[in-house]
Amino acid sequence: MKDIKIEVNKLSLYYGEKLALNEISMQIPRNKVTALIGPSGCGKSTFLRSINRMNDLIPDVKITGEMLVEGVNIYDKNVDVVNIRKKIGMVFQKSNPFPKSIYENIAYGPKINGIKDKKQLDEIVETSLRQAAIWDEVKDRLGDSAMGLSGGQQQRLCIARTLAVSPDIVLMDEPASALDPISTSKIEELVHQLKEQYTIIIVTHNMQQAARTSDYTAFFYLGELIEMDKTKSIFTKPSKKQTEDYITGRFG
Amino acid sequence: MASLLEIELTKLKNAIIKIGILSESQIAEAMKTLLSDPNTKGKKLKKNENKIDKLDVKIDEICQNIFALQQPVASDLRFIMSAMQISSEIERIGDLAISVIKSSKSVKEKYDLVVKFNVASITKNVEAITEKTNECFETQQEKTIEEIFALNKAIRVATEKVIEEIVVEMKLNSKAVGSGTNLILALKHLERIGEHCTNIAESIYFVINAKTIKHEKTKFE
Repeated sequence: MKDIKIEVNKLSLYYGEKLALNEISMQIPRNKVTALIGPSGCGKSTFLRSINRMNDLIPDVKITGEMLVEGVNIYDKNVDVVNIRKKIGMVFQKSNPFPKSIYENIAYGPKINGIKDKKQLDEIVETSLRQAAIWDEVKDRLGDSAMGLSGGQQQRLCIARTLAVSPDIVLMDEPASALDPISTSKIEELVHQLKEQYTIIIVTHNMQQAARTSDYTAFFYLGELIEMDKTKSIFTKPSKKQTEDYITGRFG
Repeated sequence: MASLLEIELTKLKNAIIKIGILSESQIAEAMKTLLSDPNTKGKKLKKNENKIDKLDVKIDEICQNIFALQQPVASDLRFIMSAMQISSEIERIGDLAISVIKSSKSVKEKYDLVVKFNVASITKNVEAITEKTNECFETQQEKTIEEIFALNKAIRVATEKVIEEIVVEMKLNSKAVGSGTNLILALKHLERIGEHCTNIAESIYFVINAKTIKHEKTKFE
């Protein structure tokens, strides 16, 4: 692994007294898809949320160790959390479009960032929707409410909305778990295309999805990172017995 | 844009076509050696054999990765299962080509027997069946499967007949025993090549029709 986007050094996270992540160290490569897998409560979502400091919003959270994004520890005191979140987009399990038009959903972020020029906004809207593979489905009804889209379309719209503010990193927390198989495969294909431009980290309960979509896979268990390797290796010859047992369905 | 699975399947198909072409050229070389006993291009054969072995391993790897990462189903699943079998059948065909050459070497009197019993008519069919098998994999046409079974039958009947004739010859002429035995060995290898080709044809039938015809060869014979 040569080109590292995120380097994590002994990151521990406590919810009050409870240790949720125990000295996680890993390297996340640039422009690749990294999947985080593991049973419920293993810490994978907590870890994902610590990459854009979403856990700051939870009271009683204590974090030690380093999370270096492009060499900068995002937990340093002088780091502006808003800037971090601008660079690190996030897509959630349940699609959550704003109750606005399709166009406004995408243009919202860029507008907040100070872009006012209509032509430029039009361009961003089109590019983002194209990147999220939904342009052809919505181009004739950009003024319609986003709430009228299907679940799969809403999720791709949310991905487009994330891309509209030009992040470097896209975090996805179970982005397809509420979708039907066709929408799921669209999202998976999309993830594959997006990695050309973005570093993607995806949490999924669905091991097959991790296998299909990711380049690297990290297996978490009881707050610890058990193993991280190329997805090919994890799913054909994992080096830890716990990983083997989990992916073969023998526990978890 | 092709899906990842489609890309991997194309990669697999191309690898099988490649290994098929290599084994076809091994067979052609072996048949030439058997018929005329000239200096064989041992080096090239060895090089090709190594290539075949490496491709065989690579094909297993591609299949393993598709199984582990892409969860193929239905026709894709059948194609990959068959690809693994076809690859090892082709690898065996390549090995048999080498065996034919080994049993053709250093037999001075063999050429007379080869001419006398018209071995060329069999080698022609062996070349044809390997070509047909590769074509069948590429085009996935049921008609070609029938042709492969017909060729195999022709090879089997002809080798059995020639072997009987060689045995008679050996009984009459003790000088022919050495070369006759080697020729019988070579003919047995040719027969095996035909069998491997029909195994491949059966796998292709399974891909096309989702029905196995293993052990029920009467269907085409």
